[in-house]
Amino acid sequence: MNVGDDKQGARSWRKAYGLALSLFAVEVVFLYLFTIRFS
Amino acid sequence: MNRLDYLVLIATILAIPLYGLWRTRGSASLGQYLKGDASIRWATIGLSVLATQAGPITFLSMPGQGYESGIGFIQNYFGQPLALIVVCAVFVPIYQRLKVYTAYQYLGERFDQKTQLLGAFLFLVQRGIAAGITIYAPAIVLSALLGWRLNLTIWLAGGLVIIYTVVGGTKIVSITQRYQMIVILVGMAIAFAVAVYRLSPDLSLEHALSVAGKMGKLEAVNFSVDPHKRYTFWSGLIGGFFLALSYFGADQSQVQRYLAGGSLKESRLGLLFNAVVKVPMQFFILLLGAIVFMFYQFEKPPVYFNQPAYQRALESGYGPQLAAVQTQFDDVFTQKRAVIRAFADVSGTERGAAMAKLQELDARARELRNQTKGILTQAGVDPKSKESDYVFITFILQQMPHGLVGLLIAVILCATMSATSAILNALGSTTAIDFYRPLIRPNASDHHYVVAAKALTAAWGLIAIAVASFASLVENLIEAGNILGSVFYGSILGLFLAGFFIRRVSGSPVFFAAVLAQTLVFVLFATTNIGYLWYNFIGCAAVLILAPVLQQTVFRNTEGSAGV
Repeated sequence: MNVGDDKQGARSWRKAYGLALSLFAVEVVFLYLFTIRFS
Repeated sequence: MNRLDYLVLIATILAIPLYGLWRTRGSASLGQYLKGDASIRWATIGLSVLATQAGPITFLSMPGQGYESGIGFIQNYFGQPLALIVVCAVFVPIYQRLKVYTAYQYLGERFDQKTQLLGAFLFLVQRGIAAGITIYAPAIVLSALLGWRLNLTIWLAGGLVIIYTVVGGTKIVSITQRYQMIVILVGMAIAFAVAVYRLSPDLSLEHALSVAGKMGKLEAVNFSVDPHKRYTFWSGLIGGFFLALSYFGADQSQVQRYLAGGSLKESRLGLLFNAVVKVPMQFFILLLGAIVFMFYQFEKPPVYFNQPAYQRALESGYGPQLAAVQTQFDDVFTQKRAVIRAFADVSGTERGAAMAKLQELDARARELRNQTKGILTQAGVDPKSKESDYVFITFILQQMPHGLVGLLIAVILCATMSATSAILNALGSTTAIDFYRPLIRPNASDHHYVVAAKALTAAWGLIAIAVASFASLVENLIEAGNILGSVFYGSILGLFLAGFFIRRVSGSPVFFAAVLAQTLVFVLFATTNIGYLWYNFIGCAAVLILAPVLQQTVFRNTEGSAGV
């Protein structure tokens, strides 16, 4: 993944980044549904 | 404000720095003074990063933005989670491995000293002015509405920050920001609950949101590709990505926050916390503005929220003109309220007609506010700050219970103090490490550099107060601050990305590429009217294109290093 991570660490951090991105996607979907509901 | 408010205000803004001073008592090594120590955990780092970015403008202006233009501004933050992940994966490990105090030391390690000095210089110019704006923006609003003297307000916010930042360094900044951010979040949550509670009994929250939505206040996501639309999903995702990448990756006021923990894991978790909470936090602040908008559909708002300026115009003999506009505004308000009350009871085509009428009346109310602003300009009392900046603070002062008013004024001052302390800490560190140590006293003791960093932090604090004191000479100050950041950030980001991703390029080509890119941005700024967010992208792209070209042509005989 980058300097400073071993293989195990890199895999864990990839999962953490994936989780953060998924949560962001959920936030955008929520905002979109909110827009549709109230506009 | 009454005595209870002042008590809450003074206790809140004093208690946190005093606690911070107690926690950081005793002498610190250079490393501890500039980077904190290993006891700082990810939650403190996360709140510290959040507080540094938020600043007073977020809590004063953002609800006003929601009131005036709706919540579409939220899209400007869509690029931030992606940028934070790139910072976690690429920037943080390199900074941690090189054990740098400032981000610009990386440029010195990767390229040469002149590139390090260029990056540091661009940061100092830009942030030195921004520190003054951070103090001035809330001071002008608070002094106008609370009747405090402007200079006293500037010194109240700025003086206290200088003292504790100089004494405690990075650790005190992180600790105080943690508690200041908790006060801010609790205060804003209470303000949100009170605003919902104070909505008219005629209006349920759902009904209020439906009407606000129909009036164009709740369009959070817009997938339009029309470049003329101000806030869209795409402009926020792409433009916001470059802005956030520059800000979090290459701005020392943020880099110093997440390097404070000393471990890669704590730094990354603190940043990922921001990637997740930033969008919801901004959503609730903007939504609070939309709810205040609905509140003022039933409770008559002032025709112009900057009441001190309005009063000065009345006293200058403009009473008859203002009274004529006020009469029309009152009439429009009464009609609007009647239409909204009837809105729940009608359906189908009648509802459509009611909505059209409501939008027409809202446009008329806006026109009358513009007329009022025109009269204020004629009267020579045209305020330098935006009228919408006064919306939320007016709501606080007029509608909140005593005690809570003090707490919410403390929220605004806490936000000012936390953002300013981070900037001063970064300015002092950068001047000491990137300029003073290599150029003036290369081989002094650690203790000498701690004293130098403290003196330079104090000096930057005084410069910030001086900028804030003379800031009224500059028109449209907050916009000027945003433009200033975007004009410089692109080239700075370009220096870092060239270092990370272009392996065969050396210091001189990158240095001259950044100088040319910065010149290009200045020329575009002076001769075109491109949206300022684009300067981040243009400056960065220009460095990344020009550096390899210069390496292969002008600096052909200079061997490029393989990267750090």
